[in-house]
Order: sequence, then C-alpha cells, then structure tokens
Amino acid sequence: MHKLLEVKNLKKYFETKNGLLHAVDGVDFSIEEGKTLGVVGESGCGKSTLGRLVIRLIDPTDGKIIYEGKDITKVKCKGSLRREMQLIFQDPFSSLNPRMSVSQIIEEPLKIHKMCKNKAELRSKVDELMDTVGLAAKLSDSYPHELDGGRRQRIGIARALALNPKFIVCDEPVSSLDVSIQAQILNLMMDLQEDRKLTYMFISHDLSVVKHISDEIIVMYLGLVVEKCRADELFEHTLHPYSKALLSAIPEPTTKKKKEMKLIQGEITSPINPKPGCRFAARCSYVRDICRQAEPELKEVLPDHFVSCHFANEINNLKAN
Amino acid sequence: MAKKKKGQLLQIWRRLKKNPLSMLGMAILVILVLTAVFADFIAPYPYDLQNYGAAKQFPSKAHPFGTDNYGRDIFSRVVYGTRVSLQIGFISLTVGALIGTVLGTLSGYFGGRTDTVIMRFTDILMSIPKVVLAIAVASTLGPGLVNAMIAVAISSIPSFARVARASTLTVRDQEYIEAAKVIGAGNFRIIFRHILPNILAPIIVQATLGVGISIILAASLSFLGLGVEPPTPEWGAMLSAARTFIRDEWYMVLFPGLAIMLTVLALNLLGDGLRDALDPKLKA
Amino acid sequence: MNDRNSPLLSVRNLTIHYITDDGIVRAVNDISFDLEKGKTLGLVGETGAGKTTTALGIMNLVPDPPGKIISGQILVNGKDILKFKKNELKKYRGKVASMVLQDPMTALNPLITVGEQIAEVLRLHDKLSRADSYIKAAQMLELVGIPSDRINDYPHEFSGGMKQRVVIAIALACNPQLLIADEPTTALDVTIQAQVLSLIRDLIKKYGTSMILITHDLGVVTEICDEVAIMYAGQIVEKGDLEAVYEHTGHPYTRGLFGSLPSLAVKAHRLNPIEGLMPDPTDLPKGCAFHPRCPDKMPECVSRTPVVIETEPGHFVRCLLYE
Repeated sequence: MHKLLEVKNLKKYFETKNGLLHAVDGVDFSIEEGKTLGVVGESGCGKSTLGRLVIRLIDPTDGKIIYEGKDITKVKCKGSLRREMQLIFQDPFSSLNPRMSVSQIIEEPLKIHKMCKNKAELRSKVDELMDTVGLAAKLSDSYPHELDGGRRQRIGIARALALNPKFIVCDEPVSSLDVSIQAQILNLMMDLQEDRKLTYMFISHDLSVVKHISDEIIVMYLGLVVEKCRADELFEHTLHPYSKALLSAIPEPTTKKKKEMKLIQGEITSPINPKPGCRFAARCSYVRDICRQAEPELKEVLPDHFVSCHFANEINNLKAN
Repeated sequence: MAKKKKGQLLQIWRRLKKNPLSMLGMAILVILVLTAVFADFIAPYPYDLQNYGAAKQFPSKAHPFGTDNYGRDIFSRVVYGTRVSLQIGFISLTVGALIGTVLGTLSGYFGGRTDTVIMRFTDILMSIPKVVLAIAVASTLGPGLVNAMIAVAISSIPSFARVARASTLTVRDQEYIEAAKVIGAGNFRIIFRHILPNILAPIIVQATLGVGISIILAASLSFLGLGVEPPTPEWGAMLSAARTFIRDEWYMVLFPGLAIMLTVLALNLLGDGLRDALDPKLKA
Repeated sequence: MNDRNSPLLSVRNLTIHYITDDGIVRAVNDISFDLEKGKTLGLVGETGAGKTTTALGIMNLVPDPPGKIISGQILVNGKDILKFKKNELKKYRGKVASMVLQDPMTALNPLITVGEQIAEVLRLHDKLSRADSYIKAAQMLELVGIPSDRINDYPHEFSGGMKQRVVIAIALACNPQLLIADEPTTALDVTIQAQVLSLIRDLIKKYGTSMILITHDLGVVTEICDEVAIMYAGQIVEKGDLEAVYEHTGHPYTRGLFGSLPSLAVKAHRLNPIEGLMPDPTDLPKGCAFHPRCPDKMPECVSRTPVVIETEPGHFVRCLLYE
C-alpha cells in the first residue's frame, strides 16, 4: 500500500481583530491510496479548514503537504492539482450556482480543463456522469432550486468526479440530508470508491457516519488531533477523554441497554490565542495541574493508536510502554 | 419534490404581471418607445418647421399642444423629443451601469487595495451632487448631445458601483464560488460566469429606476443650456426656452413637463415592480 | 398521579392544507393522537412529513393564507383551541402551551437583553411587576444553567447552546402545561445537544410539563420521550411507546428509517436505505402514500388507503399488512 497523501505539521492561522486564530495547529497524518480517512470534530475544531488546506484551496501558514511523493505545499499552478483532488461540499443548496442548469454545472470543469474535443463528446461525458451518480437524464436542463437535497448532492458529486480525480475531500456531504437520502448518498459514495479506486478524506461531526465509511479516523479538538487510529479500534478502545465524551453524547436509536450519557461541561473554548497546556483541559473531568501547563504530545499508546493526553494510560488502565 | 419546469424569466414575468401598477408603467414605456421609433410618422410637422404667422397658438385641432414662440408645433417637438430624451436616458445609463458594475464587482471580489482605490474614487464622485458633477463635466466638454450623455453616464457610475459591490460581497461568500475555484476556474470565469449572473437582479432594478433620474438630469443640463443645442427638441431644452412665457403661454411648458413626468413615473412604477418580482426571497 | 381518562392534548382528525399557486399542499392529512399529562411524545419524520405544520396547528399558528385548517379538532384540557377567540388565544399561547424553535440564532431579538426577553413574557402572562419579572427572569436563567449576572447581556454575547438555553427559559417562564420543541437541538453540536437534552428532560420532569418533541433523529427520541409517532406524507404511520416502535417495528417506512442509520454497534458494509424520494405533497400517491417506495407493497396498497390498526396494546400502525 502506498501513501497517496501525507501531511506534516500542517498549520493555518488566521488574523482576526482579537488575535491570532489557530484554526489548524500542527496536524500530521497520511492516507493510503483507496482508503478513507475520517475526520471528526465539532464546529470550530478546524476540520473544514484542514480539508481545504490539503487540496491547496487555501495556503497553509506552516507545514508540508506531500501528494504522490511530491511536495505540493508551494505549487503555484494549481490547475493540475484540481484534476487530482476535488471537494464535495456540505450544503447542496449554496454550493450550486442557482443560475446554471444541471448539465452546465457538471460540464463546467470539463470545459475549463478542455477535456473534451467537441460538443458531442462533452454531451456524452455529462450524460455518463449523470448516470454514474444516479441522476435521470431528463433532469439535465433543470435548475438546482427545482430539485431536492439528495439530487442536488448528486450533482455536486458528479461535478467533483468530472475531472476523474484520485482524491476527494468530502466536507460533511450528508449532514444536511434526510436520513433515508443520507443512506442513499453514503452507499453511492462507497460504490464510487470501489469502482474508481478513490481515496477519501471524509469530514463529519457525526461519529456514526464516519465510523461507517472510514478505515482510519482522526478526532480533532480546537485545531489539534487528539486521537488517531483505525475506525473500529476507536470504538473498541476509546482513549481520549474528549473522544469518550463525543461518543457517549450520541443518542443511539435503541431502547436496549441504554448507556449512561456522560456529559462534558461547558462549551468549546476560543481558538484565538489559545492558552498553553491541553486545549481540552477546561472541559475535562480528569484534569490535573499539568494539563493546564504542558501541551500533551500525540503518542502511540496502543499499536497504531495515537492519543494526545497526559494521562491516556492511567485513565484507561493501560500499562505504560 | 418534483416541480414543474419553468424558465426563470417566465417566473419573473408571472410575478410582474400580478402587479397592475408596474404593468401600467410598462405599457406607458412601450408607447413611449414606439413613439420614439416612429416619430417620423406620428409627428404632423417637422420639429424645426418655423411659422411666425402661427406663433404662440393655443392648443387646437391643427396643433394639439399649441405652437411655440417660433410657431413650431409643440406636439411634434414633444414627439421627437421622446427620441432624444430616451436616447440620452438609456444610452448614458447603460454606459454608466456597465462601468459602475464592472468597477463594483472587481472591488467586491478582490477586496483589499483594489477595493480601497475603487471605492474611494466612487466616494469622491458621490460626494459631489449629481447635477453639479454633470454640469462640471458638460461645461468642460462643451454643450452637445454626446457630451451630455457622457456627463450623465459619469454621474451614474457610483450608484451602480455601490450596488454591484454590495451584491458581490454576499455572493462571493457563497459555496458555489468556492466550488468554482475547486474545479479550477480562474478569476475571470468566476466573475463573469458565477458572480455577475447572480447580482444582475438588483442592478436591473437600479437601472430601471436610474433611467428616470438620467432623463431628468439630461433635461436639467439642457435647461441650463449645457445639454442638447437648439433646434434639436429635447424636453429639458424646451422647458428652458419656454420658461419666459409661462405666465401667458403655459401650455408651452406644460406638455414637455408632462412628458418628463410621465416617463419618469412609468420607469419608477416598472422599477418597483421589478424589484419585487426579482426578489429572491419570494422565489419558490 | 395522572388522570388517565382526560388527556391534556387530544388531536382529532386534523387536516391542514396550504393553498398555493402550484396546487394544494396536503401537509397534514387526518392525524389523531392524545398526549397525557406529564408525558413526552416524539414526533419523527423527514423533511416535508408535516411535523412542523402539526406543531403550528397545535399552537393555532398556521399562517393563513396560504395555510388552512380543513377539518379536525385540537382539544386542550377538553376545549377546542381552534375555536378560541383572539384574547383566549393570547392567554393560551405562552401560558398553556409554548414553543421552542430549531434555530436559536433567529429566535431571539438581537436588540433586547435576554433578561428583558424573559421578563417580557412574565409581565404579559403572569402580570408581574417590572421588578418581580426581573427577579423571576434571573431565577429562570439560573434554572437553565446560565449565571444570573448575565441577565443584561445581549443574545450575540452567547454561544449557540447558551442561546438555546435562553429560548428554553423563555418557553418555560410561565410554567406552561404543554411544551412543543421543534428540533431544539438540531443546530447544536453533539456534546452541547446532550447538555440541552438533559436540561429539557430535568425541567419537564420537575414541572410536570407535557412535551411534544419534533425531530428527525430517532436517537434523540430515546433520550427523552415516552412515546413516539412516526410521520410520513402528513400522516402518522406508526405510534406507540418507545419499546413497541423500536423493538417490534411494524410499518415498512419505520423499518426503512432504522435501516438507513449507520450504527455504532453493528458493522454493516452497506446501508439499506428507502428507495426513491418523498412524494410531492401537492400530488400524493393514491392508496397508501408510501406504496411507491415500499418494499412490502401489495397490489391493494395502490388502491386502498390503510386505516390505523392496533397491533398490540398501545401500538398503532397504519398499514395494510396488518389489516
């Protein structure tokens, strides 16, 4: 298996009126070809910024992005990157130009990159893409506002697939859809991955969706990775206090063996000029003095299971290695 | 939800039709445009035919609006005046709107220094009253139809720049602009394909309302002797020429005045209706 | 302790339509249900199922035009609120029944302090003096977990979760008998959602408030509700207590909803979504509205409209499979 994408110490700071906003603050990970990396976190944790950084839609403050062995952090001409890396958006309502018809939206990337020699070829390519994502051909002259959320999201997926990319960042692609439609889109995305050997970075706040689709998961909190491991491992051995809280806060649709909801106090603190120490300290029930002074490092606590917590071993009754 | 397919223009038309006042405005406007186009056939006399024997005649069958102090038929002059006034109004406004919209869109899209330079320039233009600005331009360039149009066009730039910039700022943050960047679209494509079509509605409204203002502005220039030169019939110039006779031959002032009023009223009625019809909040 | 014979709320054959240019939107079609005192009912359905219209109906707030309550009764304490006069309605809303809306960002007036927004309701309904209303408002803030010294802060100084707490404080200020919460946690992060849900649960238990919780999330229902009603195309297709609906699911649509959810517990390679899309509410299918998407469709589903069948005590299903 080879690494398609590798990210090293990636940082993005934004200047704001009140100080420096640490949106992404030193993130490392890699994604293997054909696999899915899930990125989980609540609003304001920097997951969307991270997604836009890795496809070079915005410029990082610091760090390295290596794609197919090449350092693309400083690439100026992004045209070729666009063919390799695409983005699927969260909101299928605002991510489609309301003045363009379905076929105009899907053919635009093909036109920009001059992928088709003539009108007929363009036409047939658009038809093929619409068929791939399950859009009826008769919809090609419809406008987005005439369609429901599920169909709109299919348009967004077709647009992303048009350039035949290898790597797709999916930024909450199903969060604004109804559950029955959400399942249809998730199935479509998994089928596409299989057929086209796509590599996904799947960003979501919904742990159950991320678990369903991902091979590996990183949990983010205030711009940092707090836990990183295989998808099933995260649910078998949840090690970081924040991951635990996140997991226990999900209301499960069952009346059997109700787990006790473990509430964490307070709300996410400001990412502007963060205080030294662990960023989760203010809400953590295991907090001690050192948590407020030293920032914990991301350490391998179990095989291929990384956690950034001073007391990861202790609170999980693990032997220190 | 399956919806019946409808062109967006058709939907706007359907909403516009519901507003009787704006339909009235539109009807008046159509008549005015037809008058301007077919002036040669409608006007009973040439606009510059002088007849001192029949000067200052009260409206009659032969001269429905009366005659002026040179004995020219006022009705014919008002009819030909439609041509000149609408020309000035529409052409100068189109030029002003184009320049203003492009400036405003660039300003809103790029932000930063571009924004500062463009917007301070329009601020300066805006701080000078329109009439004063137009007078300044017209008196620099000298009187005449083309110069009057240039003066009116320049004075209408700032309002379009402002409207375009404000709309661009909201559209710029929409996800579909980011989506266009993701598929590799350049700035040029983003501005012309994605931003402009989405900010057109407020600009069209501004334009419809603006034509009326431009016509008044052009009339004011002519009234002050800085616009169209005699004997070209322009409503403002006609008012100016007739103002000394207002006590006894009031009809010389009345009809060109009415013509201006009617045109501006029609444009405002239509503009108001369009604003409601184009409002995206009402869109299904 | 509950008077089992007289429910607090009893909705009888309620039908609400919206009359628009594109046709008649059949938002709510002949629904009936009861809510006993102190109980919580979860009203679950997808976009366009008619959940919010039902809630607006219960508040008698259906916008007219285009909305029209075609038929039915909504009995609260035995009185039909649809027949209420203006001043009776004023007393009913806020005092007897109140509502928490989905979006805490727009539910509060940005120009008025949160304290004043709570106090205003108290002055209006409980006829408290200005000073007393502020004392009570401060208590309400403490009750929903906000320090009372923030009483003079403006809504923009609060986070989303805190704003929703303020909205809840306003809704509960006059101690209503019925609380309608329309997707109260949908706009919130999961950890904040958990906090707000537990707050609502504690408060309604403390005051014995009955609640209708509208949500699309089958998980949220289990945290807080006693009973659940599943809505599809303006009808209640299944209703019962939690265990009945979740463990002996009757209606194919409900089963489809459960199949669509990725589970944390079970590893499934593919989800089993419901095929197709929600029907156009201006043109609902004949017979059972769900038949075009139903995996268990029978020939008669196309022609005959199912009636509500009690499959086990207290468990109602509207499906021809059970007739």
